[in-house]
Amino acid sequence: MSTPATRRKLELGRVGESVKRVDAVPKVTGEFAYSSDLFAAGMLWGHTLRSPHAHARILSIDISEAVGLAGVHAVLTHDDVPGDKRYGLEFPDQPVLAFDRVRYFGEPVALVAAEHPEQARRAAAAIKVEYEPLELVVDPELAADQPAIHPQHWTQGHGYRDDPRPNVVRDMRIERGDPDARADVSVEGYYELGIQDQAFLGPESGLAVPDGEGGVDIYVATQWLHVDRDQVAPCLNLSREQVRIHLAGVGGAFGGREDLSMQLHAAMLALHTNRPVKMVYNREESFFGHVHRHPGRIWAEHRANRDGKLVCVRMRILLDGGAYASSSTAVTSNAASFAVGPYAIENALIESTCVYTNNPPCGAMRGFGAVQTCFAAEAQMDKLAAELGMDPVELRLRNALASGDELPTGQKITGSMPVEEVIRRAAAIPVPDPEELPRDPIRLPGGAGNTTRGDGVQRGVGFAVGFKNIGYSEGFDDYTAARVRLFADTDGDLVAEIYCAAAEVGQGVTNVILQTARTELELENVMLAPGTTGEVGSAGSASASRMTWMATGAVQAACRAVRDELDRRGGGLASGDEIDLERIYRHPRTGPLEPETGQITTERAHVSFAAAAMRVVVEVDVDLGLTRVVWIGTAQDVGTAVNPQAVYGQIEGGTAQGLGLALMEEIQTRDGLITNASFTDYLIPTALDMPPVVAELVEHPEPEAPFGVKGVGEPPTVVSTAAVMSAMRAATGRELNRVPVKPDDIVFSGS
Amino acid sequence: MDILRPDSLEAARAALKNGSVALAGGTELVPLLRDRIVEADTIVEIRHAVPRGIQGTRIGAGTTLGELEVDPQIPDALREACRLAASPQLRAMGTIGGNLLQATRCWYWRLKYPCWLHGGGRCFAHEGLHREHAVFANAPCASAHPSDVAAALLALGATVRTDRRELPIAELYRLPTGDDRRMTGLEPGELILELEVPMPAASTYLKAMDRKRFAFALVGVAAARSPEGTRLALAGMAPIPWLLEDESALDEATPLPGNAYKLEIARALIRRALVAVAP
Ligand SMILES: Cc1cc2nc3c(=O)[nH]c(=O)nc-3n(C[C@H](O)[C@H](O)[C@H](O)COP(=O)(O)OP(=O)(O)OC[C@H]3O[C@@H](n4cnc5c(N)ncnc54)[C@H](O)[C@@H]3O)c2cc1C
Ligand code: SF4
Repeated sequence: MSTPATRRKLELGRVGESVKRVDAVPKVTGEFAYSSDLFAAGMLWGHTLRSPHAHARILSIDISEAVGLAGVHAVLTHDDVPGDKRYGLEFPDQPVLAFDRVRYFGEPVALVAAEHPEQARRAAAAIKVEYEPLELVVDPELAADQPAIHPQHWTQGHGYRDDPRPNVVRDMRIERGDPDARADVSVEGYYELGIQDQAFLGPESGLAVPDGEGGVDIYVATQWLHVDRDQVAPCLNLSREQVRIHLAGVGGAFGGREDLSMQLHAAMLALHTNRPVKMVYNREESFFGHVHRHPGRIWAEHRANRDGKLVCVRMRILLDGGAYASSSTAVTSNAASFAVGPYAIENALIESTCVYTNNPPCGAMRGFGAVQTCFAAEAQMDKLAAELGMDPVELRLRNALASGDELPTGQKITGSMPVEEVIRRAAAIPVPDPEELPRDPIRLPGGAGNTTRGDGVQRGVGFAVGFKNIGYSEGFDDYTAARVRLFADTDGDLVAEIYCAAAEVGQGVTNVILQTARTELELENVMLAPGTTGEVGSAGSASASRMTWMATGAVQAACRAVRDELDRRGGGLASGDEIDLERIYRHPRTGPLEPETGQITTERAHVSFAAAAMRVVVEVDVDLGLTRVVWIGTAQDVGTAVNPQAVYGQIEGGTAQGLGLALMEEIQTRDGLITNASFTDYLIPTALDMPPVVAELVEHPEPEAPFGVKGVGEPPTVVSTAAVMSAMRAATGRELNRVPVKPDDIVFSGS
Repeated sequence: MDILRPDSLEAARAALKNGSVALAGGTELVPLLRDRIVEADTIVEIRHAVPRGIQGTRIGAGTTLGELEVDPQIPDALREACRLAASPQLRAMGTIGGNLLQATRCWYWRLKYPCWLHGGGRCFAHEGLHREHAVFANAPCASAHPSDVAAALLALGATVRTDRRELPIAELYRLPTGDDRRMTGLEPGELILELEVPMPAASTYLKAMDRKRFAFALVGVAAARSPEGTRLALAGMAPIPWLLEDESALDEATPLPGNAYKLEIARALIRRALVAVAP
């Protein structure tokens, strides 16, 4: 036997180095297998029949004609759900298939499996459902006085403030100091945000394969494998071991894949037919197939003294949660918790309410409540600066939150909170001079449309600061598991295989895991096994900007355990030997907020915070209302950048999404029906709409986090909508209190 | 559903009987068929029946927008309108003939609301969202004609030659009426073969959109100057491409509560277009 295998010296790819993403080349060349590319021999195609009403009682469902059609193998309704009839990310308020009534337009009512997708579609069209329309609840202002969409009031009794009004999902208050405290000046404002879609490019899709023993394997693009499993298994009446979820190629997520889409449906069809079943939503169906960003209406009053010191902030936030709870309770709380922005404040009253309506369900989307309030709060800060005759950056610096300060919830910030540095760094990035005229029209507002040669064009520069929590909050027992298997390969080199169910949703967590393992093990040969519930414990969700922190912690813990064991064995492994250890990582514990006052009940309600500041330059053709975002400079508090190149990517992508909300993205509804469910009618920014982004990483390691990391995905989205709007106001002189802002709002003051 | 691929105009005419519909690039027709807004027993592909290409001032109806947008001979307004329409993929397939005959983007209509244009009694846009809709001739239907190309051709004073007749492009379109809700005067089975596009002294097309590219016109303004004078035409402002006497004719518009902003845009764009084509 040869000498035991030992570690080969590590050359590349430690934490802190820019490493090319492992999925970069296959994604660019088109070779990457997305969940919609999956294929299995003998597979059938599933299709969902959806409700054509936003609110109706189901009187009858007749599948007799559909089952007889060519190629059809199964037509399933709520009667065929083997186990629990309802599921939900946080509250089981959502039917697997509608039974008593439908509560939103597009709600799944029946399923078909057929040999060809077109046969499945036709069979679905042949299902006859008799509906009796019910009173619509579509105005969030009126919802609490209308008949209950969910008489069960699912979200009551979970430690939230008691609000018996119908259709209230959560009603919360944060009361701090003296909410009536007076100050020298006060500014008031009312703000609105439309519904934003995640607009991920890969629609919901996946493949369910029966295992021949009553269980099922589901390959799907998702954000949290284990929570999918935990929702799917009881509805299928199977044990958790019998349902295995495997991560398939994710074409974007942004929160929209936290809730189940086709997982349960494909599994039901697969188990029923004993054949693999594939489901792929088309673009239109995708708009009906996932939750969106909550539209909001926000009223705010800011009071400050002449020296610029904020004295009191009062805000009322109303969010439309749509037909099902999803993560609305957490979004409601987040909107309130971060409403003031990263500013120290002693007196505040923040009321945040989310209601059920028959509008499209809303839930998680990048920024998760903080986007909505940042837009309002930063507009208020600009107003306040104007009222005080103070430089807006100076005003923000004067109030900047710092480690040691208390948040409106009473939580004292113990970790890194370099708001002041973030503001200073962003403000110091040199703003480019206006470009000379004449210019290529593409470098003017109106873009390709050739609408100006410079006439009507006004420049505006805006600034905003935003922040948000990292990780799950308010007492949620959050953890991530990772397993490391170390063995000697046939060349006598040590190889580590990492198992972690962290979902690679495009954010780059694969590299984070590999870099962490390489650093910890001082080992070049590190592989990441495909994510699955079968091989390792839960990783938690790829959301709340938490995955880098949590995966790093878990992989680090497992690597250290393996390293210790290796040392115990003398530093080498004989061929055929292996070390295989799993470890669980938990971040510092959080506790719930007191329901009546929104104050902390333990040391903290949130784990950690990250801030970003952004300067935006726009040019607006004020005669036409057309906008060119010229330039963006930003500084972001990132803790430690594990893979700086990927962090810059997150900043640019997150900024584009916030720019989209500021200038064009809005789901339109009429009586609960999405009327622009296509990329022809729902516009998202193209490369032409995105300016260059100059980003600076502010690295102050988070003391309690592995390697000092913080999440980086959400702060750019939180701040960019507000920052673009600040620039838009500067360019136009208009109030622009609703996003997205359209040419209509700029050229015409009427109605 | 059958697909026929006739290899001559005669064969195409014969094939275009009751219940059949002509297919050129299919970029407009296929989605309408998919959504069952257009119902057809037979689809007749007209690729070999309709001329394609540019000869002097004559443009085959089967010429793609992609071919037109790079052609240096055609008037600027037309080239610009083609270049600004849709996306490169769509322009590679979509023909100029099909572009002129595209249906409204009104989403109530596309979602098959039983609205007036679908034969029903009410216009959902009037009572609902209508920021993209028409400000001229917008009752009983407020849909806006989406074609950039048609506005350009209207300003240029193009003539349409079909398999049966020749007509000024203005006469290709008609405002829908209670008993005939079509937007063109083409007879069933009538094929557009060619466009005759006179060369102006100067012309331009300006298009205001909700993003920098790949969006329908909120307002499109075409202007063409010839010895007889300067003609203005608008896209996105009326149920059909709209000829405008002069800037002051904007005062005759009847905007809805949510789309008067279009007039502000049109006013500014017209001024800029007139400057661009001025001698
Ligand atoms: C997403 C999207 C965005 C778009 N954006 C724009 C835009 O910004 N500006 C713009 O102007 N257009 C736009 N369009 C429209 C596009 O330019 C047209 O769809 C295209 O030009 C139609 O040509 P086609 O050959 O594909 O027509 P087809 O789809 O084949 O046919 C369209 C209609 O015309 C009829 N037809 C076609 N050719 C003839 C003929 N020779 N004689 C008689 N009837 C005929 C067909 O029967 C059918 O009714 C857009 C389309 C899409 C789908
Ligand atoms: S504008 Fe015309 S097409 Fe649209 S809803 Fe009204 S009648 Fe129908």
